[in-house]
Amino acid sequence: MNEKKIKSSLGTILKYVVLIVGALFTLLPFVWMISSSLKSATEIVRVPPSLFPEEIQVVNYAKAWAAAPFGRYLINTVIITVFTTIGVLITTVLSAFAFSRLNFPGKKLVFSLFLATLMIPGEMLIITNFITITKLKWIDTYQAMIVPWLSNVFYIYLLTQFFMQVPETLYLAAKVDKCSDFKYMIKIMVPMNKSPITTIAILNIIGSWNSFLWPLLVTNSDEMRVLSNGLIRFQTEAGSSYELIMAASCILVMPIIIIYLFLRKYVIEGVAQSGIKG
Amino acid sequence: MEKKSLKGYLYLLPALIIILVFTIYPLIKAVLMSFYEGYSIINGSFDAIGLGNYKELFSDKVFRKALTNTSIYVVFVVPCSILLSLLIAVLLNSKIRCKGMFQTLFFLPYVTSVIAIGIVWSWIFNSNYGLLNYVLSWFGIEAVPWLNSPDYALMALIIFSIWKSMAFDILIFLAGLQTISPDLYNAARVDATPKWRVFLKITVPGISPMIAYAFIMGMINAFKVYNEVFSLFKSSAGPANSAITVVYYIYDKFYNSADYGVASAAAVVLFVIILALTMIQRAVSDKKTA
Amino acid sequence: MKRRRIGAMLLTAALATGMLAGCGDNGSSGTGADEAANTAQPAESTDAAGTAEAESGDAQSDTAIEPCEITFWHAMSEQQEVTLTELTDQFNSENEYGIKVTLVNQGYYNDLSTKLTANAAADTLPDMAQAYNSWLIPYLDKVVHLDDFVANDYDNYDDIIESYRDECSQFGFIAAMPFNKSTYVYFYNKTLFDELGLSAPETWEDIKTVGEAFKTEKGMVSLGFDDMAGMLEASLRQNGGDYVTEEGAQFDNETGLETVSFIMDLYSNGYARLVGEDGYFSGPFSNQMIAAYIGSSTGVSYIDTSSGWELGVAPLPGNKEKAANQAGTNLVMFSQDENRQKAVWEYMKFLTSEEATVKWAMETGYLPVRTSAYESDTYQEFMKNDATATAAYAQADSFFSSPAFDGSYDIQSAVNAKLEELILNDADPETALSELVEAVNAETK
Repeated sequence: MNEKKIKSSLGTILKYVVLIVGALFTLLPFVWMISSSLKSATEIVRVPPSLFPEEIQVVNYAKAWAAAPFGRYLINTVIITVFTTIGVLITTVLSAFAFSRLNFPGKKLVFSLFLATLMIPGEMLIITNFITITKLKWIDTYQAMIVPWLSNVFYIYLLTQFFMQVPETLYLAAKVDKCSDFKYMIKIMVPMNKSPITTIAILNIIGSWNSFLWPLLVTNSDEMRVLSNGLIRFQTEAGSSYELIMAASCILVMPIIIIYLFLRKYVIEGVAQSGIKG
Repeated sequence: MEKKSLKGYLYLLPALIIILVFTIYPLIKAVLMSFYEGYSIINGSFDAIGLGNYKELFSDKVFRKALTNTSIYVVFVVPCSILLSLLIAVLLNSKIRCKGMFQTLFFLPYVTSVIAIGIVWSWIFNSNYGLLNYVLSWFGIEAVPWLNSPDYALMALIIFSIWKSMAFDILIFLAGLQTISPDLYNAARVDATPKWRVFLKITVPGISPMIAYAFIMGMINAFKVYNEVFSLFKSSAGPANSAITVVYYIYDKFYNSADYGVASAAAVVLFVIILALTMIQRAVSDKKTA
Repeated sequence: MKRRRIGAMLLTAALATGMLAGCGDNGSSGTGADEAANTAQPAESTDAAGTAEAESGDAQSDTAIEPCEITFWHAMSEQQEVTLTELTDQFNSENEYGIKVTLVNQGYYNDLSTKLTANAAADTLPDMAQAYNSWLIPYLDKVVHLDDFVANDYDNYDDIIESYRDECSQFGFIAAMPFNKSTYVYFYNKTLFDELGLSAPETWEDIKTVGEAFKTEKGMVSLGFDDMAGMLEASLRQNGGDYVTEEGAQFDNETGLETVSFIMDLYSNGYARLVGEDGYFSGPFSNQMIAAYIGSSTGVSYIDTSSGWELGVAPLPGNKEKAANQAGTNLVMFSQDENRQKAVWEYMKFLTSEEATVKWAMETGYLPVRTSAYESDTYQEFMKNDATATAAYAQADSFFSSPAFDGSYDIQSAVNAKLEELILNDADPETALSELVEAVNAETK
């Protein structure tokens, strides 16, 4: 009994050691980013570098912020992120349901086709899509930045994997109760998979929030630009203002961390709470 | 499952339309482009149709280098990231203090812009004053020229990428762990099953779809690595191109050299490789479950 | 109901293929400039001016311009953007025709370049943009020829620095007006140089002397190049040789071997080092880890002397000849509308005027594009306190631009990678030369 206790407390210690070492490995670059964002232009290139700034330069944030009309950019970013994320969740749930529960001709083929689209680098698709957007006369509009991103095979595949985990018997039982497919999807599948659905929402929010090249390509006016476009303006042909890049990146990342903290509980309390009550 | 009907397509329709217009259609164009020799994206003109671009591609030493580098990269990054993430995810899901804090910490790499964090990593890897060499010096290891020597550049890229991709895998695994019914664990506790057995018999099978997912997605994403290279080596592909990857090559050919045909051919080659590997993986995992 | 769904799918598919077809004939909507570009051979540039007349309108007879808005895509940020905005505001309020220029920041150079390519493909280019010659090659037929404008409506074209004029007309017609120009200069740590009793090197021999002195007395590397391919090109020209043409490498000869030996020796003797992980030499130079380097004159804003040393700036050292790389983009016109072309030209005239180019140069660290601007009292006064501008001016008559042609980008990146590899492997000069020649010729075929 005693031996077992020692063994288990050794296990606990080991557990924390692994977690703390891992957390340090993860955190350090991030801390460095924040501390660099507070250094002066002189200090940031000094050798050897200091982990913490000598004199905190909050002014970097003001400088980075003043480089472009960020208020407007923020509104645009939020609009695009919200609509893209809602749209993606709808198309993803519908498609994942079709792939996991419905039987239709050519299902395997379509699924493989979907997966195959992931295998071509997006860099190759940009110009053709740009021409499509031009033909639709969508340049400088929100839909140009939203519509092409309304479906995402990464997420469809992910959610399909989760939907497959739900016991088939539930579905059959629902059928017996004359529950329609759509109702079953909304009432049972979605609540049971809160955790992966929230995960997808988080992933998509991050993706939309950070997207850079596409919004730059399809907009031509400051009124339509997004945050990431403004935060990249610290480079010339002879060097970069690293402290401003860091400050800008911190500004860009903060809202997402807040959103994550807010949504985290849904990721973690998946099935345990929603239960299998239906 | 019920009988086959076309109803499934109704559910797929919204996604299908977007994918057809914004992915399949440009994809087809890219494939066609790869067979047009001397293609101009500006006016759609080309000199001939044939395999010229592919010939040029395979005789290009830089492309062969890119292909080798990318393969090495995939072989290291994907399994390392999955194993480490699995370990962390299981620990994060067990009874620990400050759970929320730890979970948030491990998520951070995923949200940060790769450009800024690439710059930070290039400081960490710095041969003279980088943190990594400082830590290594505790173990009597001499300063390693991570980013200055072609021998180490790829390794630096791999370390950076594992750091970057773990956050995603941990998030997926954590979500997966939630779907395992607590009853199974309770039963195991009653039976006093050893922990490693619980892990192998309950946890791993329980999240095996997520592991398969993380594997395939990790592989696809690893084959498409580009931004990490660009940001770590300050807009180059490492000393003497030593860390060039296939997508870096494609991007360079397409946007800088205006060599649209060759870039498309490289994209098609990459596509075929990933497709083949994914099919093998799926065949293997189907066999296992059958 | 089922049928209707399939119908919708087919419709989508049809739509997609329709677009496919639609894109195919995109090219036929090209402009009349097609023929102009095709006929414009370097040898018959006067002829090209005549051809351009057809589509650039007759600028002379009809000078009235209808009020209009024109768009200018640029890649200027921080102070550069501030000054550009001030100049543009001034133009917008002062011009007599009611022309309004809208500035659009399109990110950094590579973003702007990508945007221009995509918009050239969609036939939606802006009225004007900043561009390097090499970007223009895929869509050269969409560039408006400026020969007529220059001939009929420009105060003194010969006043523009000769090498800039050469660069802008290297396609056989005037494709651009010079704008944000810089040059490579020799930055050195004057404090350390004084300490060793050295002055800035003027010749290759001096470089070696300086290198040896720093190596033995300070254990320090004393030279670096931000741009390796640019360095090879400049060195070849300084040695009286030539670099590349569309036909391939032009340095597979005695001069080439001499030049490559000189370069390789700098590295094997420990006089010079690669930039590697630092990206730009301004960082290690600021930290006094390297005694001097050669890089863009605009880099001076990233050099930090706050740790207590004095910065010196000198023209590039020469050998048989003097030669200094010029860099920076030019102004290119894309507008196909006659009235807007005239409006763009008014703005281009304004930006390249003596007054505007002086203000631009003094506030941004770029160089004036006109001789008269250099000679103006204001700029002369400014140069007294600005070592970089002085050094740049001192070598203004030895500027050269790298030729841009289909494949020139690939040559540049191949040479960069090859030089790094050769230096890292400490290759002997003969091997280095033959591998460099091979790398260049692989791209030109």
